[in-house]
Amino acid sequence: MTSVLVTHADEPLGRRLVKTLYHDPEVETLLAVGDGPAPRAFDHFFAGSDPRLVYARVDLAKHRPVSDLFHSSRFREAQIDTAIHLPRHGAPAAESAPIVSGLAERTAEARLVLQNCLECPSIQNLVAVGSAFVYRLPPGNANRLDEESELDLDPDVPGVIRSWIDCDMIFHGEVHNDRLRVVLLRVPTVVASGGYVYLNPFLEGRPGIRLRNAGYDPICALVSDKDVARAARAAVHSTRSGIYNVAGLEAVPLSVLARWTGRPSFPVPGPLLSWAGAAARALGQELPGAGAARPHLRYGFTLDTRRAERELAFRPSHRIGLARAGDGALTLETAAV
Amino acid sequence: MSPPASEVPLATPVVDAELLAASDGEPALGRDPFAETLEIDPFVERLDELRQSGRGDLRVAAAPAAPRPAAPPARREPSRPPPAPLARRRRVETPSLAELEPAAPRGWLDRWLGESDRRRLAAVAHLVEGEVAFDRYGFSPDAIRSAFPWFLALYRYYFRVRSHGHENVPTEGPALLVGNHGGLLPFDAAMAIVDVLLHTDPPRLARSIVDRWAGSLPWVNVFYARVGQVIGTRENFADLLDEGQLVLVFPEGLEGVRKTVTQRYRLQRFRVGFVEQALRAQAPIVPVAFIGSEDQAPILYDLKPLARRLGLPTLPITPTFPWLGPLGLVPYPVSYRIVYGEPLRFHERFGPEGADDSRLVRYLANQVRRSVQLLVDRSRS
Repeated sequence: MTSVLVTHADEPLGRRLVKTLYHDPEVETLLAVGDGPAPRAFDHFFAGSDPRLVYARVDLAKHRPVSDLFHSSRFREAQIDTAIHLPRHGAPAAESAPIVSGLAERTAEARLVLQNCLECPSIQNLVAVGSAFVYRLPPGNANRLDEESELDLDPDVPGVIRSWIDCDMIFHGEVHNDRLRVVLLRVPTVVASGGYVYLNPFLEGRPGIRLRNAGYDPICALVSDKDVARAARAAVHSTRSGIYNVAGLEAVPLSVLARWTGRPSFPVPGPLLSWAGAAARALGQELPGAGAARPHLRYGFTLDTRRAERELAFRPSHRIGLARAGDGALTLETAAV
Repeated sequence: MSPPASEVPLATPVVDAELLAASDGEPALGRDPFAETLEIDPFVERLDELRQSGRGDLRVAAAPAAPRPAAPPARREPSRPPPAPLARRRRVETPSLAELEPAAPRGWLDRWLGESDRRRLAAVAHLVEGEVAFDRYGFSPDAIRSAFPWFLALYRYYFRVRSHGHENVPTEGPALLVGNHGGLLPFDAAMAIVDVLLHTDPPRLARSIVDRWAGSLPWVNVFYARVGQVIGTRENFADLLDEGQLVLVFPEGLEGVRKTVTQRYRLQRFRVGFVEQALRAQAPIVPVAFIGSEDQAPILYDLKPLARRLGLPTLPITPTFPWLGPLGLVPYPVSYRIVYGEPLRFHERFGPEGADDSRLVRYLANQVRRSVQLLVDRSRS
């Protein structure tokens, strides 16, 4: 039996993970934390005399609240031995704002969670979900990347991706820790039923028009949110530590994915795209997509997931496709194979 | 001071007695790749020379009846482990023509196609599984369906392609088509893809391996991906063969495209990766001769220094380019002949472990090159 702390549980991926773990008989207690109030989806989990789920609001980017969480009586009583750190969905409110030592919000959260997990004697396992957009992309549309592939350490990489790379390296540094078992899962674009899409630098944010690089249509590896939750659960129960790519069975071009998720995209020549992004920033606006890493708007990738299959016994079990809803509209859906 | 070449010890047995004995009197193509070249291959000459001089740890051809030496061959130490194919990939199979329903015509172009052609196009849709109409390389059966009529028109009326030896193209399982390359724009690959699709049952779509440089070209990279061409990385190659696909390779690479008019139909040095992959995937190699492709845009001179400055693989001067601008790149309406040779089944003799022996792989690549050259020469004459 294990007791698990889940961060960012109020966000879509976190909600999915909490649901998955709640129904896992091997999980004794769930301590979920998030920025906002408890999601309505958790209401029926709270019912009953002895709920296995506890939810708390914690600002994970600030030192004191995180420290308070790890030293709280509820935390000690629950005897939490595993932490699952999920990435903040979407770009942080102010990516370049100096929050903790000049670090971006997402990076600060990763550092604080790791630091407290290392200091907390009861925690033995840490599972972190990171992004597969950390890899450097060579020219071409069918790059199959494995865990040993080079990270994109180009100093010009945009802030959104840089924060993912920083988080990745923070956890990567403790993968061989003797006391704390650290598992880092790198996931590509996450898709959820209803056309929701997460962890894609081009499609994050509100629906609306996106500008993409003319002449290119990179292939996007997809994974369903349910498969990400299953992979995290597999990592919790595994005895392995290390870095694992997690991906689903499908890959689609960026333009198709944008259309499916209600974000029509317009091709714009590369130089114009840069100017448009710069002009938008000068006006205090963020042009979604224009600020994303340019290689990621040109070259696609898919992930080699053999290590996760071999060591975590994880295989994707959900397919992604278009389904016709009751009103006749086509929506992006995930379905178990 | 380094020792003379003849004194360099050669410790790796690459060609053994069994192979040399088996090569006697067999035809050159498809049966025994060594038979034709034993006398002229400098590598074999070198082995003989060293054996006769008594230098080096050679156990080759000393006793034709002797069993194969048990000593393990020298293994190349790869910097990274060879890419094993993904375990969960399915084997790509297309139904036979009789089992297929022809796709309904969508426009006047589709109506122009015969029922048989539309039946073949319907087979292509079986290459992609699931609800999403793309595979992991970006290939789309819909794009093939849209592009096919145009390329069929080129095939029938512009290049007037004639082809022979279709029976040598395996109807199922992984296989490689290896041919000579030329003609600036890769119409040879396009014509081969159309030809294979038209003459195989079950219909097969050849997946062409393209240079990484092509993946950086705007629009071109998207078109290539949609019609099934794949960037030539080891991982992609291994995956395609593991899926049981038919892979079209031009091992000359860009050197083939750069050939000037005086080098036409003289094959350049082959790259060796395709042999490694064929051995690992247990796939036969079908040599293919393309006659006509190297006449479609005769290069008079290649401005290499300027091409390097511009970041281009080649900057050719042809009778029409650059004088007519981009129009000068349009290929001449030459008549194509495509000839498929007998498959070379190296994997049956050497097994997957042969892929780790770098000198064997180089040697076999040379054998494939000779086979293709012979096929080209015979077809031209």
